[in-house]
Amino acid sequence: MKRQMSVPSDAAQLSILTQFLQEFWTAADLPPAETVSFELALEEIFMNVVMHGSPAGRVPRVEVSLALCDGCLTLMIEDDGPSFDPLSLAAPDVTASLEERHVGGLGVYLVRQMMDAVSYQRLGARNQLSMTKRVREPTP
Amino acid sequence: MNVRLESIGLTTVVIPEGRLDFGAAAGFQVQVETVLAGAGTAPAGVIIDCAGLDYVSSAGLRVFLLAARASQRAGLAFAVCGLKPAVREVFDVSGFSRIIAVFADRAAALARAPQGSA
Repeated sequence: MKRQMSVPSDAAQLSILTQFLQEFWTAADLPPAETVSFELALEEIFMNVVMHGSPAGRVPRVEVSLALCDGCLTLMIEDDGPSFDPLSLAAPDVTASLEERHVGGLGVYLVRQMMDAVSYQRLGARNQLSMTKRVREPTP
Repeated sequence: MNVRLESIGLTTVVIPEGRLDFGAAAGFQVQVETVLAGAGTAPAGVIIDCAGLDYVSSAGLRVFLLAARASQRAGLAFAVCGLKPAVREVFDVSGFSRIIAVFADRAAALARAPQGSA
């Protein structure tokens, strides 16, 4: 099962993308407990493109696809903005004290921790981030 | 996202309901800042009861972090409670459950909160 949609890099599109994910979830009859990892990945990576990957005067297109194969779900987020690998961001110090704690880099860190596999590619003029997690036991 | 407030003794309970995502975070931050500004001083406290919160992202976590830090500086007791599994996971993975007091439910949080009448 595979679905995709394309939206402008605009914060107002987040709710539309979330709804797209939730409809996929229902259509594929996936376990509700697993949805949080993907809702989070979608928000964190999409909002990264909106806030950091959208140069002034230009609104990149963002293409989101979901592909379910043998119990593994892959969320792919592609944009035609400037080259940027979010996986190159330094991980936050999650052991820092309350006073010293920063939120920068936390979103990508959460995504890396909550997915089974995350990879970035620059494909021509596009950034492509692929995130995969097993959401259902494989069919025997 | 909908936010309700309740006062119990010296403690203000903030009750966010729904999804605390990027779109909701800025408004929630203003509401929490208003509560903190009006909460008085020690031994008052603020509890964020998350029993109705379905989802939180890093944008939402930031509000909790700023609120916990502002409370510490103001000498206010600060706690969160009632985290659903999806919210609990994000608190745990981010390390926030180690720097913010997390209780199973509101009764447990109130049992540790300052007593007395407002």
